[in-house]
Amino acid sequence: MLDAFVQGLVLVLQWKAFAFMLAGIFVGFWVGLLPGLGGATTLALMLPFIYNMQPVEAFAFLLGMHSVVATTGDITSILFGVPGEATTAAIILDGHAMAKKGEAGRALGAALASSLVGALIGAAALAAAIPVVRPLVLTFGSPELFMLAIVGLAFIASLSAQGARGMVRGFLAGGLGLFLAMIGQDPQAGMARYTLDTLYLWQGLDLVPVLVGLFAIPEIIDLVVRGTSIAGDAPAGRINRGALEGVKDVFRHFWLTIRCALIGTFIGITPGLGGAVAQWMAYGHATQSARTPEERKGFGQGDVRGVIGPGAACNSKEGGALIPTIAFGVPGSTSMAILLGGFFLLGLVPGPDMLTKHLDVTFSLVWTIVLANIITVAACFLLLNRLTALTAIQGHLLVPVVLVLVFIGSYTSNSSYADLIVTMVFGAVGYFMVVAGWPRAPLVLGLVLGKIAENYLYISVARYDAAWLGRPVVIVLLVIAVGVVLYPIVQALRARRSHG
Amino acid sequence: MAKQTSLGLALAIMALAAWGIYSALDWPLKSKLFPLVIAIPLFCLAAAEALWVFFAKDAAASASDFKLSQDQSPEVARRRTALAAGWIVGFFVLVLLLGFPIAVAAFVFVYLKLQGKEGWLFSAVFTAAVWFFFYGLFDLVLHMHFPDGWLFGGFGGF
Repeated sequence: MLDAFVQGLVLVLQWKAFAFMLAGIFVGFWVGLLPGLGGATTLALMLPFIYNMQPVEAFAFLLGMHSVVATTGDITSILFGVPGEATTAAIILDGHAMAKKGEAGRALGAALASSLVGALIGAAALAAAIPVVRPLVLTFGSPELFMLAIVGLAFIASLSAQGARGMVRGFLAGGLGLFLAMIGQDPQAGMARYTLDTLYLWQGLDLVPVLVGLFAIPEIIDLVVRGTSIAGDAPAGRINRGALEGVKDVFRHFWLTIRCALIGTFIGITPGLGGAVAQWMAYGHATQSARTPEERKGFGQGDVRGVIGPGAACNSKEGGALIPTIAFGVPGSTSMAILLGGFFLLGLVPGPDMLTKHLDVTFSLVWTIVLANIITVAACFLLLNRLTALTAIQGHLLVPVVLVLVFIGSYTSNSSYADLIVTMVFGAVGYFMVVAGWPRAPLVLGLVLGKIAENYLYISVARYDAAWLGRPVVIVLLVIAVGVVLYPIVQALRARRSHG
Repeated sequence: MAKQTSLGLALAIMALAAWGIYSALDWPLKSKLFPLVIAIPLFCLAAAEALWVFFAKDAAASASDFKLSQDQSPEVARRRTALAAGWIVGFFVLVLLLGFPIAVAAFVFVYLKLQGKEGWLFSAVFTAAVWFFFYGLFDLVLHMHFPDGWLFGGFGGF
């Protein structure tokens, strides 16, 4: 095993594989920065180029590209409030708020450092899980996966607003997300639901135009209203000085970073949930780390823990998602499904062979994730001053450029003008939610989890009737969901008692 | 403002949920189970929020989310918000009529001139830079297809 571990590193460090990895990192760097252009789309576009490559070279190229997309996606999210990737939306809430306070450097430093720690933990989990992965994945059937979706929603709905009324609004936004997820063809009977007789809506609402509208449009409007740069009146020198402080923040909240990275890894391992869920669950957990309701009010206003949590989870999920892909050929996400295609193109069959005969190739994947992230984070730190300077550019120069990127990013998801209409509609919804003080995070998570939850609920009921409710892991997850909902209430009662 | 917006959102969600429930009643059980399980509580939660707006004396705590800046007077903020919405919708109309390649150049130039009050030369150079970035990346490198606008190529793109 140790031989294969070292052999994996040697394989990646061969000049050809290393050069392909650098090329992949270069592509992934820019794909992550541009809103709308997703990692999965780019993986699919790059797949035809691997035909003539050796397996290690091909995976160094593909995985090198894919594993840095989330890291650089964080940069766009923090600096402009526009999600660089669907998986980097949660970091906007506190990251962009920090950029507006003139702390872009600190936010980027924290995001990059937590991304690196997350990626290393995800890769370590992949390496450690190789011998023990089978029983872990088999513990989770449809009932457990359904309950996991419910726990995720309970997490974010109860923690993204304060007080009983805040919780109602959180669940209302989550419910709206679940409702919107039902638009399109029903997966069981093939019935067209809430499609308004339009062909575009048959496949359901695409996440990218929704996210871009929900988060970017209110930011653009606010930038026009303020009439200043993103960093406003913050002194220019302060903007880029905080990067080191951001790195220190990650080590100040090291256990939070580790816990969020583990959440990301776990969500990554779980087939079907994906990175869009991991970031929000990690954000919910970061919010939960606030000890008092007053401390929790700081989230959304630029609390660095709201950057560290999603940053760590987003990158750790890649290592986690590779576990079922390699061990069983069960992809954990769309990107992993495309990567699985890469395995077959190269004549590799995921399963026991990858854990025995091709163990060195499997470990080369672990090393690719580690090296690609180290190289990207180092490159980002070198460019940090130039990147943070973007927040000092006057708003009237940024608005047209960002709006062009928003429209193109949204249009690229389905190459349809209807994507632009969806972006504008959700831009209006996002703006009104911000004005009314409603949380947007539960809406996104509801939208992401809706189809997954419906599928798993249907399979659970069809397979076990009501008996699925009695399964041990389901009961544990149910208790966690109830605990998550009750926790803020208990916290508020305790605070009231200590004040009174 | 927050109160009225919250009420408006709650009423809109109530209407959406009611329509969702009504539409689902005719569907087979497999298709309607989940919509009903979601839409009925959604209607109740929206009604609770609407009642809260009517009867609550103190304002609700705001969410852990982005807050709009309060630096400008409400009147200026309202005017600029309407202006921003106008630019966004205007760009969309330009894209529909002229197609992305022309609309990008036209929008950036007009925005810089009218909203940014920039000079002719700066606006032209900046627009050219943005356009070449757009054209170079999305057309030359990624070979993405952008249909002609309705003025040139019919009603394509939907």
